[in-house]
Amino acid sequence: MADPSALAAAMQRLWVQFLPQMEQRVATLEAAAAALADGKLTAAQAGEATKAAHNLAGVLGTFGLTEGTTLAREAEPAYAAGLPIDPGLHARLAEIASHLRNLITTGA
Amino acid sequence: MAHRILIIDDEDDIREVAAMSLETVAGWEVMVADSGAQGLARAAMYKPDAILLDVMMPGMDGPTTFRELRKNPATAQIPVLFLTAKVQATDRRRFADLGIEAVLVKPFDPMTLSTQISSALGWN
Repeated sequence: MADPSALAAAMQRLWVQFLPQMEQRVATLEAAAAALADGKLTAAQAGEATKAAHNLAGVLGTFGLTEGTTLAREAEPAYAAGLPIDPGLHARLAEIASHLRNLITTGA
Repeated sequence: MAHRILIIDDEDDIREVAAMSLETVAGWEVMVADSGAQGLARAAMYKPDAILLDVMMPGMDGPTTFRELRKNPATAQIPVLFLTAKVQATDRRRFADLGIEAVLVKPFDPMTLSTQISSALGWN
């Protein structure tokens, strides 16, 4: 069995390495939520948001951010269902993007 | 025993974390591929002991890659485990019907990923 501290150090290094692309994925979700609020969300944007949410769901929990995985899993089907998105979900999707931003800013 | 694993995943963060986990925790030899097509070539070239295969990839997805691996006599016998963020029971049944060895769920625990693989393949 490996030294847990060695694994933790390696995970921290990878977190720093991949943080920019996680920030980019969250930015995609923020942009989609903003476009949704303005009634301007396109199918292409919804597709990008679906992929960003899917990627975040898969990776955040691996870095210990299990709440991030839960939030991203909630957003993914909302965007994947296609347009129009249920108006009852608009505020929640903006909230999820904001929570994800806070989570990755706080870090793993 | 130092197993040889091929990880096929288009997401570089997942690929890197899984590779680091298997190398650091289990001391296994890890090869990586960032697409189904690259994975097919590397599987035939390196003949790994097992393949960890992402399901959702652009171009050739996981199920298609799996079927191609099975068509090639050089790779047909290599155990394949899906690694996926899709956790619906219907997805799991569909994957099991393909004939894969196991489905591992993203996110995974880097400390126990090698144990999950070993358990699924009877390597313990």
